[in-house]
Amino acid sequence: MNKGRSFLRWAGFLAVAIVSIYGISVHGVEKISKNTSAIRADAIRIDAMTVFGKLERPPVEFLHEAHTEALTKKNKDCSACHLTEKDLIMPKFKRIKDTGKKEVMDIYHKECISCHKEMKSAREKAGPVECGGCHREKTLYSSSRQPMGFDKSLHLRHSNSQEKKCERCHHEYDEKAKKLFYAKEKEGTCRYCHKLETKEKLISMSLASHIACINCHSRNIAKKINTGPVKCSGCHDLAAQQKIEKIKPLLRIERKQPDAVLLKTAKKGVVIDNPNKMNFVSFDHKAHEEYNSTCRVCHHESLKQCSECHTLAGTKDGKDVKLEKAMHQTGTDKSCQGCHGIKQNEKNCAGCHVFMGKTRKKEDDSCIKCHSTPVPEKGKILSQDEEKALAGAMLQARKPVTGTYKEEDIPEKVSIKNLANKYEAAEFPHRKVVNTLVKNIKENKLAGYFHNQEGTICQGCHHNSPVAKKPPRCDSCHGKPFDPENPLRPGIMGAYHQQCMGCHKEMGIAKPVGCIECHKEKK
Amino acid sequence: MSDKDTTADKTLFTPFNVVAGFIIIIGTVITIMRFTGGLAAVTNLSDNNPWGLWIGFDLLVGVALAAGGFVTSAAVYLFGMKKYHSAVRPAVLTGFLGYALVVFALHYDVGRPWRLPYPFIIQSGTTSLLFEVGACVALYLTVLFLEFTPAPLEWLGLKRVRELVVKMTLVLTIFGVVLSTLHQSSLGALFLIVPSKIHPLWYSPYLPVYFFISSIIAGLSMVIFESTLSHHYFTDKMDEAHLSENEGVTLGFAKAASFVLAGYFIIKIIGISFSDNWYLLGTSYGIWFLVEILGFVALPSFLYAVGVRDKNLKLIKWTSLLAVLGIILNRFNVSLIAFNWHLPSSERYFPHWMEIAISVFIVTIGIVVFRFIVTRMPIFYEHPEYKDNH
Amino acid sequence: MSISRRKFLGWIGAAGAGSAIGNTALAGGNKHFTGYPGSYAVLHDTVLCVGCRLCEAACNKVNELPAPVKPFTDLEVLNKKRRTTAKTYTVVNRYESAGKKGPLFRKIQCNHCLEPACASACFVRAFKKTETGAVTYDSTVCVGCRYCMVACPFEIPAYEYDEPLTPRIMKCTMCHSRITKNQLPGCVEACPKEALTFGKREDLLKIARARIRKYSDKYVDHVYGESEMGGTSWLYLSGVPFSEIGMREDLGVTPAPDLTSGALAVVPMVVGLWPVLLTGIYAISKRKEKIAEQELNEAVKHATDEVKEKAEAKLSEALAKAQKEKDAAVEKAVKKALEEAAKSQAKEDS
Repeated sequence: MNKGRSFLRWAGFLAVAIVSIYGISVHGVEKISKNTSAIRADAIRIDAMTVFGKLERPPVEFLHEAHTEALTKKNKDCSACHLTEKDLIMPKFKRIKDTGKKEVMDIYHKECISCHKEMKSAREKAGPVECGGCHREKTLYSSSRQPMGFDKSLHLRHSNSQEKKCERCHHEYDEKAKKLFYAKEKEGTCRYCHKLETKEKLISMSLASHIACINCHSRNIAKKINTGPVKCSGCHDLAAQQKIEKIKPLLRIERKQPDAVLLKTAKKGVVIDNPNKMNFVSFDHKAHEEYNSTCRVCHHESLKQCSECHTLAGTKDGKDVKLEKAMHQTGTDKSCQGCHGIKQNEKNCAGCHVFMGKTRKKEDDSCIKCHSTPVPEKGKILSQDEEKALAGAMLQARKPVTGTYKEEDIPEKVSIKNLANKYEAAEFPHRKVVNTLVKNIKENKLAGYFHNQEGTICQGCHHNSPVAKKPPRCDSCHGKPFDPENPLRPGIMGAYHQQCMGCHKEMGIAKPVGCIECHKEKK
Repeated sequence: MSDKDTTADKTLFTPFNVVAGFIIIIGTVITIMRFTGGLAAVTNLSDNNPWGLWIGFDLLVGVALAAGGFVTSAAVYLFGMKKYHSAVRPAVLTGFLGYALVVFALHYDVGRPWRLPYPFIIQSGTTSLLFEVGACVALYLTVLFLEFTPAPLEWLGLKRVRELVVKMTLVLTIFGVVLSTLHQSSLGALFLIVPSKIHPLWYSPYLPVYFFISSIIAGLSMVIFESTLSHHYFTDKMDEAHLSENEGVTLGFAKAASFVLAGYFIIKIIGISFSDNWYLLGTSYGIWFLVEILGFVALPSFLYAVGVRDKNLKLIKWTSLLAVLGIILNRFNVSLIAFNWHLPSSERYFPHWMEIAISVFIVTIGIVVFRFIVTRMPIFYEHPEYKDNH
Repeated sequence: MSISRRKFLGWIGAAGAGSAIGNTALAGGNKHFTGYPGSYAVLHDTVLCVGCRLCEAACNKVNELPAPVKPFTDLEVLNKKRRTTAKTYTVVNRYESAGKKGPLFRKIQCNHCLEPACASACFVRAFKKTETGAVTYDSTVCVGCRYCMVACPFEIPAYEYDEPLTPRIMKCTMCHSRITKNQLPGCVEACPKEALTFGKREDLLKIARARIRKYSDKYVDHVYGESEMGGTSWLYLSGVPFSEIGMREDLGVTPAPDLTSGALAVVPMVVGLWPVLLTGIYAISKRKEKIAEQELNEAVKHATDEVKEKAEAKLSEALAKAQKEKDAAVEKAVKKALEEAAKSQAKEDS
């Protein structure tokens, strides 16, 4: 009797104890600190061991600014964690480079844990000392770090501050002499050599930029000169990036770049002897410089001309991307057509262009819009200056102005009364809409050039039909819905609502909203 | 008044009768509300939570706890364990009343109870596990009724009919085990169709097996529990055989229950391994699951074993209550707690007090009828005319 | 309780015959139902939907449902997420997505699955997957058990809980009565943006894919309902991941009936095997009893024989002893008499 009772008691205690210990240990210690938000620009994932193979433990979440703040309070600076080589603070933790698996792991463990232990014994708030405290399965923070780079404005500010001495930042590498040197008029972005990963002596972009930028900035801070940030969030926080001052006027980078370029398929100095070859393209390089905030949007690997790597047949350097693809591939901002296509998604263009879709067959005459410069007579090789002059002349002759019909030819109001059963006819202010559309793209040379034939812009709504002064009515093609032979063609009601409401949505037009603003209710 | 108390030996207004009467009156009122105002008037059922306490408790728990009938009659008549013979009639009575009340309770929950025979006479949805449940429960209720009739027939003195029924015992017992296997497992299989709505620790393709095995546990434990209560309240109705065999029944059934609980625990663990759900044990639902299988399956298995070894009847009796609560917890977990676990707490279900009241009402009716039968019919004793005539 | 062989065989035969009647239960297997050929479906393009609720109004009108508390022109109701109810076969919900500018909308109604969970669960076959593709409900046989509501993975069927005597399940019918008369479902006809397209299921899948290809950056490359829960007759296109517009992406592709067909297939096995097993156990236990009785009798007989033997031996021993004593006594008496006689003779002679 008694035996049974005490057994019961012990069994109960044991069960409760097991369950509670298990439950608590699994949840563990939830937060590092209570007041920090979970999305931060300084959240670094320490997974340095991945260069040595697969990770055995989860990567460690490290909050850089939490540490810099704590160390600043103790009057310590970067040297508390970062070594110096050749007067430059190296970004890696307590080492210049990754030597071996055990060495790197020991550096982290020894340095991190000993510092935490010290602080803990001094009764200060410190990080974890046990394995699971740092190597957590569940991630608590997410990085809001935005990639950072120079645009032309920031570059100009830097070159001004460096008294236009380009050699202070730009260098090239001499393979034979195995050292860095400055090559005038060969300056390009750091990224042309410094890539994502460190390859032997060629350090990664991340390392290179942190070494270069932070060292220079901290030196300036010591000299009390107004300079850029040294904290993570100073460069990588989206809000901070948006606050970066844009210099005006934005002067052109002086790199002896051409104003007008003649794009042809053959290399420099090769005889063009076939007049039936495709027309050249006259390219307004100067104007395109102004359209982009960096050069590397187009010159993504080097500042050489595209056809040096992207030949007709493709080369290994060009990753086998042929010239055709490099110029015409849609969906990327590196190619001509691709970038033009991306521009079609802008607010003033999207209303018409969104509905044209990706699988639309291009008209035959759209090629000639670019390929307009005829090949000169047989056997003639043009010199560089002759080419530039030819291109310049072609560009001058262009009229990038959107064409429309005369006012009196554009109907002022169109009464849409196809389906007037519940509602009155919709009085569509046709001329006003056309004029507004034209006005919106007046300054846009790209739009103007491609729409300069009158009647082109009407095709935005009067689609799938030939260009004409009197285009077909909508109900010429759109009738009853769900026609099995024309599955992608909506019925007349769907056509109107999809076209009108879709255009308004894409262009961000707030009104009209609701049914009766377009067509009144029938009494 | 005082005169009444002194003149009569047995007054109608015993405390139990008063409470039971009160419950029955409330139940009757709620019944009327149910059939004039619809389910909305008396339940917290909603479109997201179509099944509530009446299914979770009255149907699922009721059927599980009434499993003592088939377990006991199988033990005595099929396995030949004659020393448990005195437990058969009470177990069959509990079973019969249990199933009869389940059907009675179903009349409250279902929208049009008069159409309950439709699946058998109008149109059969044989793809449905509910059809399986309905058919087997209906047949098994008949089997239990027939197994129960010898007692009232003896009471009524109808010798020839009674002889006929007793001859059918073996067939009825086999049929009863077949039907019980089918409907106990089918009640679990009902939930196989909604993996997306049941927490993965309780959803398993082995649900039918779990429900069947746990029904055996429920039956064994209920026999012990019910006999504990009966021996307390109806001792004067019991004959020598019944009183002397009781210890043997308690110890024997506890031993069996200990084994079956251990087996059930093992297959639950196998189920987690099969679905690779170990990581869920660290969540809050996981802790609750561990409470269910450690506190209400592993613990009673252990306690039963200790009780049998030490011949500690008191421990066994309390353990049977623990095991019965474990079965109730399991059925509630599957049908009410783990079901719709993904919905936000504002859309979760908790029974209306009237649903609880009706469930209490139904259990009270069961107890009252049980009392009526055992105080008049040869359940706890052998009818003198039919001694040794089984 | 002994049962004669004849009776036993009779019962087993009856059980076997009984289980042979009725349809065969096909458990899963490799049969894959892709819908009745030529059956209809509806394609809902959530990119086009603007949440105007004209579909809800049309559904209410066509099905003669009671007027709602707030009119269909009230767009404030979109502030809360709603589900279908006993008075609304369909609702439109609004969702916000981080990726897209502006709110997104989705219409919720019965998805008319190819292998509906409700039809599989109903024990009076009140649901039917018709050849038009619509899943219809017959309230004349419904018992009101609400298992269909438990079974539906999309949480669609609603119940008239406040009807005491004639409660019905309420759900979208794909306007079955209209589509059999070559009319469009009410919601499809009413939508001004043609966000709902009606047609044959095979054709709608092609249209959906063509739309995705043509406007590849507008749509997520997946047609919801093509394979979810074995396929549904209401297909969806979306511009954001479907979970962001409230649609469950973890339902899998197994049709609901396949989830229970395994358990159902076991039933005839139990019916066939259990009687054999249990009778066997009964026979074994009876045999054990008989053997136990026999052994008991033998032991008793053996014991009594032993005792008898011993008793007899004792008796004969005692008798022999008695005889011996008697003979000895007689001899003694004769001897004594002879001696006496000799003595008296000698006396006489002197």
